[in-house]
Amino acid sequence: MRKLSFEPSRVLIYLVVSLLAAAYLAPLVVVVLNSFRSNQEIAQASMIGWPKQWAWSNYAAAWSGFCVAETCTGIRPYMLNSALVTIPATIISTMLGAVAGYAVSLWRFRGDSWIYGIVTLGLFLPQQMRLLPWTVVLRDIGLINTLTGLVLVHTIQGLSFTTLFCRNYYAAVPHELIRAARIDGAGFFRIFWRIILPLSSPILIVTVIWQFTHIWNEFLYGVTFTTGQQQPVTAALIALSAAIADIPQHGVQSAAVLIAALPTLLVYFFGGRYFVRGLTAGAVK
Amino acid sequence: MPMTITRRRLLAGSATALALPALVRAQSGVKPRLTVISQWSAGSDGAAITALGKKFEEKGGIWQHSPVPGFTTEMMNKLRAQIMAGDPPACSQLKGPEIAAWSKIAPTVDLDNLVAAAGYEKVVAPDLARLHKPGGNWISLPLQIYSTNMLFLSKRAMDKAKADKIPVTWADFNDLADKMKAGGVAYPVANGGTRPDDGQKFEAALAGISPAAYRAAIVNLDEKALKGAEVKAAFVQVRKIADWMDPNVGAQHFSTNLKRFIEADMGMMIQGGWAQGVLRNAGFKFEDFIIAPGPSDNGKPVFLLNADAFIFWKRNEPDLQAGQTLMAQLVMDPAIQTMYSQITGSIPVRSDVDLSGAGWSDGQRRTAAALKDAVASDQAVLSLAHNMAQENGMTAAMIDVITEYVKNKAMTPEQGVARLSDAVEGAR
Amino acid sequence: MTGELSVAMQPGRSAISGLLRRLPEQLMIWVPLLLAAGHIVSFALWTIWISFTPSTLVPVSGWVGLRNYTAVLATRNWQIAFNNLLLFGSTFVLLSLVTGLLLAILLDQRIRGENVLRSIFLYPLAVSFVVTGTVWSWLLNPGLGIEKLVHDLGWISFRFDWLIDRDMAIWTIVIAAVWQSSGFAMALFLAGLRSVDNELIKAAQIDGAGPVRMYRRVILPTLWPITITVVVIQLQFAISTFDLVRALTNGGPGIATQLPALVVYDLMFQRGLLGRGAAAAVLMLLILLAVLLPYAAWRFVKRRQAGHA
Repeated sequence: MRKLSFEPSRVLIYLVVSLLAAAYLAPLVVVVLNSFRSNQEIAQASMIGWPKQWAWSNYAAAWSGFCVAETCTGIRPYMLNSALVTIPATIISTMLGAVAGYAVSLWRFRGDSWIYGIVTLGLFLPQQMRLLPWTVVLRDIGLINTLTGLVLVHTIQGLSFTTLFCRNYYAAVPHELIRAARIDGAGFFRIFWRIILPLSSPILIVTVIWQFTHIWNEFLYGVTFTTGQQQPVTAALIALSAAIADIPQHGVQSAAVLIAALPTLLVYFFGGRYFVRGLTAGAVK
Repeated sequence: MPMTITRRRLLAGSATALALPALVRAQSGVKPRLTVISQWSAGSDGAAITALGKKFEEKGGIWQHSPVPGFTTEMMNKLRAQIMAGDPPACSQLKGPEIAAWSKIAPTVDLDNLVAAAGYEKVVAPDLARLHKPGGNWISLPLQIYSTNMLFLSKRAMDKAKADKIPVTWADFNDLADKMKAGGVAYPVANGGTRPDDGQKFEAALAGISPAAYRAAIVNLDEKALKGAEVKAAFVQVRKIADWMDPNVGAQHFSTNLKRFIEADMGMMIQGGWAQGVLRNAGFKFEDFIIAPGPSDNGKPVFLLNADAFIFWKRNEPDLQAGQTLMAQLVMDPAIQTMYSQITGSIPVRSDVDLSGAGWSDGQRRTAAALKDAVASDQAVLSLAHNMAQENGMTAAMIDVITEYVKNKAMTPEQGVARLSDAVEGAR
Repeated sequence: MTGELSVAMQPGRSAISGLLRRLPEQLMIWVPLLLAAGHIVSFALWTIWISFTPSTLVPVSGWVGLRNYTAVLATRNWQIAFNNLLLFGSTFVLLSLVTGLLLAILLDQRIRGENVLRSIFLYPLAVSFVVTGTVWSWLLNPGLGIEKLVHDLGWISFRFDWLIDRDMAIWTIVIAAVWQSSGFAMALFLAGLRSVDNELIKAAQIDGAGPVRMYRRVILPTLWPITITVVVIQLQFAISTFDLVRALTNGGPGIATQLPALVVYDLMFQRGLLGRGAAAAVLMLLILLAVLLPYAAWRFVKRRQAGHA
């Protein structure tokens, strides 16, 4: 299909794509430029502009300098907190979702479509609405102000998405495959481990990417259910914007935003290809 | 029968008497510890509370501050979660009528003895004191004061208007704005457009027109006052202010306009005392602007009070109780209030602090003087926009109307009055 | 068709021993499913209960009937939020479908640098809404962003001030939301385009179909199932849009860009009116059910048909 001739329609295609790409990049460019401007420069000029003096120090301040309350450690320790919550919650919710999706799609049982329907509904329950019930639950099981509690919250909430996408993916697995395995005497786990899991990498990549970015970027639960030094990186980012008698710290904040977004950006950059591939199979049909 | 009771009482009494020295010893033996929740995490707010923590530690205490970055709402979410979990902090930031509201959901500490020992009551503005002892006893302590209606004048804009007189009344203000406009200042008013900023425009207008009407309508929610002529006049004044602003400001923070304010593209700002700190931290010079009390039609300063405070939650742990005592003493200490306000740019709650020293700015001195005058003439009133006059639900319902009025030029002052009283009715 | 795979418990002689033997797998099936479904059902019921109580700062028991509902429905905030949700929801879903499809078709033209371009269109998904909302509030502000830039370039009469225009501000949220999430639609559509049967395309080419007709007649019809997925996911995004609006307009100018999720949070936590906030949340769920139930019914009918076919 590839045409060697340089016809006008292809020029048009490249033109449109480039324009769209520029539009999509514009907000990122603004943040990158601001990350090189000092707070004062931004306050004295405008929020959007070219750096007069390249303030590399913003990055040092963002990474290990600025103070949140009594500790002046930058966002470094908060990145670690976020990782400590995001990584386990992502892995556990993905694994449980895979098993649940496998059970719902391939091991039909009474009431499965009801449960599946309710789990799907969970995607739509607004986060604000669940804050107080989670407070009650975490209080009753004694996990308030612990990272474990936060992992639990994100794991259970993530199950809606992971179960939904895994179920749709596994629905396409030929039933004959499972039937043959059962005739050979393989049970629930054996089939999952030997047959299903090796087929699953595309959809697992999708759920991992999705869960990772959502949990990493979450703020509301992060600040409510942790305390002091355990807070996630989003809390540290917001801390920079919340001083009443100060100029907004746009320069340092932009640098901090970019550092904090690095893990998720990398996940998308390297996982993007597989994301598309996995979505092909995991789409609701 | 009565005999036994008396004896039992006697025994109990003597037991207490015997135990008392030991108890005191035990209490003085524990290291005071304080758990604190606030939203002051960074910048000068963060620096100020950090300095307070240092003082606490110098006195031998253990300081456990847990800042909740973000809006006040997030701090309250955290506080709510802790209270629901039965583990409130020993001390937390809270302000205005929310102190009364929250004190109903969890037990607080009676600070009356400590307040009396410090002689604090007579040096606190009466309207302010009332907020901090909702049930009659002190359960919380104000820490610092801002005025929300200071008038900031751009020197260069004054030059353009060929004016050197600081406006006193709203008529003066309007006159100066017209002169600025005629002199080439594109936008005589430099405010931002956030919700509290819009609220500040209205409260400055109404309190400046009549502090008594403000108190009746906004603080006491008197129906007649809400529909009164002063409230309508305030809406008329707010429309003028809005018309003098750059419409492009939208909902931006006032700090986005500072450069244009200093360079006389904009002329005046009705803003809280904190704007002084923002201007200073942005690298602008004090020579470039003037700070004065907000316009007041009767000529005497009107002070819209905004005060940050700490509330003390009941804890049974002796070390936390000792920490609460120490914290309360520190918060009321003039030296500590001086330190705190010099970092944040506010003024001390105590009216007996001397502001003539080098650590204070002219703006702070003027603010403190305005407060003293306003208290003397009973013109210090509680700010609506900064959640000092009403509980949050009522405040937000009123600000809804005000911010819509500021942004919607088609809305008439009559509609403003009608919707404001409807909103109050709906939120009651 | 899946009858043989059924593990539904048949009452049998060895029911108990069978149950014990299958205990680990039963646990693995039911524990995650019950956690997921259970927390949703119990949280929803809890919210419904709270919506009938006089709760303010913290949940309390009591009964106020429908008072919270009538109070919420009477506020201008809710009325505006409801209208905005209809407007925002429909245009956002439509625009992100169109944009996503356009991007996917463009990327499917075997162009150079596809990897980089795909990453560019996907990256907004990786960034938190608070950040993108803030940056868009600069770009769309006429005094700071695009309008100023064009003015500085010399085109003085250019106007792009939707952010400060009460009637147009909701469209700025549409713009930011489409920007943020159209990459997801693109990824799904691209996946769909890649799995179109080559035989179909060849056959159409032999029939002499041009590119436009090819897309309209042959390729796009195969994307229907994916379109449904995109609509469901984007609808979920539209209904729960919160951080983005809070950072971009915070409901303003005035209260022109209120959305239900914002009203719920505002009532529950900012205003300290839990009962009313819960009532608003329940109303939001009802709107959601009004949208989702037809979809569920459609799926049900379709599956029935497929089952009988």
